[in-house]
This record gives sequence, structure tokens and C-alpha cells, in this order.
Amino acid sequence: LGAGQSIQKTYDLTRYLEHQLRTLAGTYLNYLGPPFNEPDFNPPRLARVERVPSATVDLDLWRGLTDNARLAANYRAYSRLLCYLRALDGQAATAELRHRLGHFCSSLQGLVLSIAGVMSSLGYPLPVGPAGPSAPPGTAGAPNDFLKKMDDFWLLKELQTWLWRSAKDFNRLKKKVPPAVVTLRLEARGF
Amino acid sequence: GLVQSCGHIIPESPVLALGSNFTALCILNESCLDFGNIYANQIIWKIKNRVVPKEQYREINRTVSSVTFNDTSSLASPLTCNILADGQIEQNIYGITVTVGLPPEKPRNLSCIVNQLSKLTNPMTCTWNPGRHTFLDTHFRLKYRWPQEDFPDCIPKDVNNSCTIADVQFFVNMEIWVEAANALGKAESDPLVLDPIEIVKPLSPHNLSVNSGILPTVLKLSWENRISAAVMKLKFNIRYRITGDTNWMQVPPEDTASPRTSFSVQGLRPYTEYVFSIRCMKEDGVGYWSDWSEEKTGVTTED
Repeated sequence: LGAGQSIQKTYDLTRYLEHQLRTLAGTYLNYLGPPFNEPDFNPPRLARVERVPSATVDLDLWRGLTDNARLAANYRAYSRLLCYLRALDGQAATAELRHRLGHFCSSLQGLVLSIAGVMSSLGYPLPVGPAGPSAPPGTAGAPNDFLKKMDDFWLLKELQTWLWRSAKDFNRLKKKVPPAVVTLRLEARGF
Repeated sequence: GLVQSCGHIIPESPVLALGSNFTALCILNESCLDFGNIYANQIIWKIKNRVVPKEQYREINRTVSSVTFNDTSSLASPLTCNILADGQIEQNIYGITVTVGLPPEKPRNLSCIVNQLSKLTNPMTCTWNPGRHTFLDTHFRLKYRWPQEDFPDCIPKDVNNSCTIADVQFFVNMEIWVEAANALGKAESDPLVLDPIEIVKPLSPHNLSVNSGILPTVLKLSWENRISAAVMKLKFNIRYRITGDTNWMQVPPEDTASPRTSFSVQGLRPYTEYVFSIRCMKEDGVGYWSDWSEEKTGVTTED
């Protein structure tokens, strides 16, 4: 795949994930029950949730990153988010929810691979080091059920924000990288 | 056991390629030689009950006789080693089963389609040409992977030319190929590299409704699409006929070549009942048309 095609696919996949997460998050928060499924529930971000990659960033800082640094940040975030999500997948009580979570995890795994594909097509090295956290939240770390649910709530919330911003990242990157045809023509003219 | 065998044949249960040559050895036990006064040159080879011509025998030594077949096509089971000692009746020493067949050919014409099942489940069915009959127990596996991610093989059930993967992911290129294997070898198809989004046959639109418009020559169709726009933008074909008529007419495809959930069909005959049906596919024409939807009727108003 050329860089342009690879970015387009990654963008489409991010939009697809956003779409899936919209229904999945609603279903999961209903599964968690009140207050987590109440529209105006907006709890403070507890210190223990720091391990989930925060999607809150300084936009100017984020925009100021190089394409390589931004892609690497996306790659690391989704690698970690995927690990946390897989912890969720294992505990969901209903078969329907497990199926949806399983499908979503596969899609997210695809996104991690797609970002890696974009990075290699642009000649960027993949971030080194462990992709995922040592202990996802909600496993041994959650002292009680409410805090466990809080972890899950924040995981889904952060994931939605990451996907929302990544779609913009890839859309912007798509415009910066000319499609293969144009590249061929440019190369043909000695650019 | 009670009866001690006086010899054995090697190889034990060979699987042989059709048309190849084959040699078997019958090895007599020393203990039987002394007891029964028997030697390798008294061995008679048989296929089923038919004696193998002696020209194909060779006495390797006192206890070993070989038999050679230049073309395994004439071979069948059992192949037996028997002894006819002086003044005695012929006795069977040992027998083997011989299986003759062909190695698998390279599976060809691999093609796949994603038949959308529901909003979130997208099974992908792949079919291929399994190649010639091999006369052997031959196993086929549909293998697929992403770069750096392998998936469990898809094992066909009761057939050897098709397999369905329960759920595939869109927007990630996957490499797909078929592996055929039997006792005589293994063969792999050429790989397909594709994004499942490019081979979707979407569910047909449903909940089609037909409403008369203000004008007597217009009927307005509305429907629901069953694949999300975030997954795929659709284009449509709309066909219609006068009730009782057999010829379908079709709305010009270019008029319905973009995402929508309704369309006003114009140029109809006033005060006439029409039957409508609609199908959809990916807007850029990549993939497959859905089936036609259920038919719905509507009547234009009087002029």
C-alpha cells in the first residue's frame, strides 16, 4: 500500500471505530448501570486512572508535533488502550456485549497495525518498548466495584476522545501526503 | 501372543504416489526358519488373491525377499507375503495395506465475499477450486493474517472448496490463501490481499414504503439502509413495474448513485398501481450488489 492509501484506510478505520464505540459505549454504560449511564454524569478524573492514556492534550502542543511524533503518540496510546479494553472484554457478563467488545478489540488491533503501516510507509520507526501497561485497570488494582466501574467509564471516555482526535489527525495527514498517482507524476517530472 | 508371526513386511502401511515405483521387503524370522524349514526363495507375493509374477521378486538373502512394482497403478490391498514350504499348504506370513493416490494440486481461483449478516457481523466466505481428485484423505485450510497478526485457520466443514470466517474487520488489508495437504504433500494457493470492505454484499434496504406525491405522475419511496454510513456509503438501483405487468423499468442508475434513504420516481402513469424494489451496493462500485429488497406497491393519484 502507498502512504496515501494506507492513511486513507487508517482514517476510514478510525471513523468506523468511532461509529462502533458510540453504540458500544452506550450498551456498556447501561450494563454498568447508574450513575454511569446517566447523560450528565461527569465525575472527576481520579488519580488511579492516570494509567489510561489521557486524551486531554494541549491542542497547540499537539498540532506542533511532527507527523512522526503524533503518529507515535497515537500508536502508543491505542496499544495501551487495547490492553485495557481486552481486560474489559474478558469480564463482560452478557454474550452480546462480549461479542461487541471482541469485535471492537479486533478493530482496534487493526488500527494499531494500520498506524504501524502508515509509519513504515512514511519511513518512520515504530516506537520501541512495551506497547501495553503492566496491569490494566480493573484487574488487581481496583479495590472495589465502584472504582472498577469508574476505571471502565474513564477508559471508554478517553477512547472516544482519542478516536475523535485521531480521525482529525489522519484526515489532516491525508491531505499532506499526495495520493500515489500524483506522486508518480511528480517523480516522472523529476521532483 | 498365541501365534507368533513368522515375518513381517516393510514398509508397513505405505501411501504411494500413483504411477511411481515401489519395492517391499518380506523379512522372515530366524526362529521360524529352523522350525518350519522355510526360506525366502519359497515366498509368494500376492495382491489380494492374485499371485504377483515371479519376475518381480528378488531373493535378497536367506530370510529376505523383495518385490518391485514399476507402476503403483496396478497395486491394491492387501499386499501379502506367503510361503509354500515343501509338501505343505501355502501359508500367509504377513500382509500390508497399500494406499495409492496423488499429492494435492495448488488450489486455484480463490475468491471471497463478505455477506453482511447484521450491522456488526460480517462473515466472509471464500471459495476455491480444490484441484484434481487425489484418492487420499486431503485436508484444506483457509489461512489469513494481517501484517504481524495471524488468525486461527478456517477449517472447511464437509466440503473441500469453501470456508466461512465468522467475522472480519474492515479497513485493514488481510492476506488470504488456501493450503491443501495429504500424506503425499502440501500445496498452497496464490495469496489474495484485500480489504474486506471491498468485497461486501450488503443487506438489501428494508422497510420500503411508497407514498403518493402531490403530482399524479410521482410516487415517493422511503427505506432504511442496513449498513452504517460510517462503514460504507451506498448507491442504489430502483426498479418498478405496473402491477400485473412483467417488464421491469429502472430509474437511471446515475440518478440514484449517491447515499440516500428516499427517492421520488417521476414520469409515472396517473391513477396506476406500481410495484417497486430496490437494491444497494458500495457507492464507488467496489463489491457486490445486495439482493433486491422486498417488493412494495403504491398507487399514483388521479389526474
